Formats: sequence, structure tokens, C-alpha cells
Amino acid sequence: MPGRRRESPLKNPSRAYVALGLEGSANKLGAGVIKHAVDGSTEVLSNVRHTYITPPGEGFLPRDTAQHHREWALTVIKDAVAKANITMHDLDCICYTKGPGMGAPLQSVALVARTLSLLYEKPLVGVNHCVGHIEMGRQVTGAQNPVVLYVSGGNTQVIAYSRQCYRIFGETLDIAVGNCLDRFARVINLSNDPSPGYNIEQEAKKGKRLVLLPYTTKGMDVSLSGILTSIEAYTSDRRYRAQGEPDEESEDVIRPADLCFSLQETVFSMLVEITERAMAHIGSREVLIVGGVGCNERLQEMMGIMAQERGGSVFATDERFCIDNGIMIAQAGLLSYRMGYQDTSCKEHLFRTDEVHVAWRP
Amino acid sequence: MTDTPWHTVVPFANPKHATIAMQVIDVDPELQREAVKRTLTVDGNDLVASFATSTVRLARLTTNGFLENVDLVARTIGEFGENSERKQGTF
Repeated sequence: MPGRRRESPLKNPSRAYVALGLEGSANKLGAGVIKHAVDGSTEVLSNVRHTYITPPGEGFLPRDTAQHHREWALTVIKDAVAKANITMHDLDCICYTKGPGMGAPLQSVALVARTLSLLYEKPLVGVNHCVGHIEMGRQVTGAQNPVVLYVSGGNTQVIAYSRQCYRIFGETLDIAVGNCLDRFARVINLSNDPSPGYNIEQEAKKGKRLVLLPYTTKGMDVSLSGILTSIEAYTSDRRYRAQGEPDEESEDVIRPADLCFSLQETVFSMLVEITERAMAHIGSREVLIVGGVGCNERLQEMMGIMAQERGGSVFATDERFCIDNGIMIAQAGLLSYRMGYQDTSCKEHLFRTDEVHVAWRP
Repeated sequence: MTDTPWHTVVPFANPKHATIAMQVIDVDPELQREAVKRTLTVDGNDLVASFATSTVRLARLTTNGFLENVDLVARTIGEFGENSERKQGTF
């Protein structure tokens, strides 16, 4: 990329820093402890998570999710601190997800974070959930300046960094891609264990037939709610068979596996397209995929094909880091804490990625 | 129909813990600021919460929400409070 090399405002610390991160914006409750060492390296000391899994056919609602977080918060936090082999007194700060996310679950985690902060007299650092994903992705993969595709149940954004801001190049105009997949999983009654998206991915591998779906990229953005309506409509199609093995290969039949396959191929192609547009716009060769949907190997494969054609590469993390977790909150929180950030206001369930001042990057 | 104030008294181990609970809960505004007025004070070891709501239903919802929150804070203090006083400990 053209331009002179700017020096990073974040220097190696004069002593080791340790932070606790608490995450609970959706149905995953996570706590993690991270360490920034004197030589500039970052170490994950612990990463504990408990997920609220609903029965097949049901999604998770704010009230029940908040109750799950209230039940599990203290156990998960104690576990994370014990696994990290530290005490609460060793922490430099307590980081928590300020937003975006579901209001009631966010509030439950925020209450615990504030209480711990006052009890132990530790600074409190509010973190943007999306920035947490990005920073952990950068840290784990070592990608220098990638175009970031952030895809999860709650968010779908294409992000690129410029001048201390993660700028949103493209995003969903309505629902997130993970939301689309999860809601379809409910329609065909797939299990939510370990996650609906995982089960759609496995089901899609058995798909043989591509059904026609709308392809709705809108410039740099995508629209997904129409696709969801379309794919749900196929379950009322007279060719649809909810279960049973095919008697013959040539029978004109649509199975759940075919629908899963078609849905994935369509929405992932759209995501690859808008990512490619951003790459072309800024001249980047790296793609970093973060967020729960980033675990999907088919998406990684399709993105890889596109990146390779452009002479670039794809970076992705495993389920420890791409699914919501506490360690990413600790990482992003500790970075902003070291740059002098102070927490002031309450949770914000609508917190845009580009509202964050990324002080730790040049 | 006049607004009837409701108050809930939650006892803590000492004024410090009650004050922490008050500070923690007071950060978030009530969801319906116009219809619900909340006042939190500390009286000795107790956290006193007063609510003025326009309907009885709102009083029930608000009090339930408050009790869920104060339960979480109280459990957190219960779990970590003693350890936070001690500088050395197992966690």
C-alpha cells in the first residue's frame, strides 16, 4: 500500500499487563484472561465459555438468555481466573462487552463487571464486541492489514482499517447471515447443539441439488431477509420431503440437505463478492474472517478461492476464538486501557464498530 | 389516580457493600424513563429502592427486574466480597 510507514503508538509495556474479559452479548457467556508481556507478545492465560443452548426449533430470547448469564457468570469467571493461575488482585483491569448485542444479557454481564471493579478497585473498560473479534483475529492469525469480514448471528459487516478507525465498507441491510442460517435451522428443526450453524454446515455437505434463490447484493451491502423468506417457502413446495432417503437419484425431490446447501452457497457467494469489492477498493490482499459464521469451512474455502485468484490469502481462527468469547474482550480492552481509555457510560446495545477510536494502531 | 411510590429494602453485610450495589445498579436508566421514576439510597447496611410508576403492572415489572439485578449483585459480592478484602488468597 502506498504511503510512509507510520509508527505504532502502542509501545512494548514496561511490565506485564493482565486483564479479565467478560462477554455476554448473545447466548454465549465467556470469561478470559489475557497477558501482554514485556517483549510485546500476547498470551492467552484462560478462555472459558458456557453457551445457552435452546431446544431444536427454538431461538434464544433476551429474558431467558439474561437468566442463563446470571446463573453462570460467577462460575465461569472463577473458572477462568483459576485456570489462568492468577488472583483477581493481579488484574490490571476488568473488561466487559458494552455492546452491540441484546440488552438484558449485556446488562447482566455489565452488572457483574461493575461489581467486581468496585470490590477489587480495578479500572473498568467497556469494549465494542465487533472490535473484540477483529483484535483477537489479528492477534491469533498475525494478519497485518486485512479486509475483515465479520459474520455472526448478530452482525454482518465488511470492515477495513484506516486512520484509527475500523470503517464499515459494507454490511447487511436487514438481518445478519448467522441469523438467517439459525432461523432456517429452526424451520427444519435442526439441533442447536453445539450451534445451529454448525449443524447446517454438516447437513449441507449431504446436499446434492441447488435450488434457485434470490441473489441480493446491493452494491457494497447485502440483504438477507428476502432469502430467508424464499428458503422457508421451499419447505412448503410440493417437491419438498422433510425426511426419508431418496428412492432414486432422478426423482424430482428437494430435501433439507439440498436447502442447506443452496442457502450456504448463495449467501456465502454474496459475502465473497462484497468482500472482494472492499479488497479491490483499498488494494488489499488479505482477508480476515471473524465471528461465529467464520468457523464455517465452506465459507473459508470459497473466500480462499477468491483470495487466491487475486494473489492473496485468507486468515481465519478456530472455534475457540471465532465464536463469541471473553478473551477477545480482554484483548481489545487491554489494548485500549494501555492507551489510556476510561469507561464512562452504561451499556449500549447499538454500538457501531466505527464509533471506536482505535488509539493503539498507527 | 395518584402515583403510588413503592420501596424495597435489601439488607447487605455492611454500608460499603450496599453502596457498591447502589452504584452498580444506578448506572443503567430505567427502560421507560417517563413512566418509571427510580430512587436508590443507602440507609445503614440497607439498600433502599423507591419506584414511582404510572401503573401497577409497571410497578410489578420494575420491582421484578430490580430484584433480579440486585440478586445478581448480591451473589457476586457474596462470592467475591470477602476475598476482595484480603490481599492474599486462593483466587
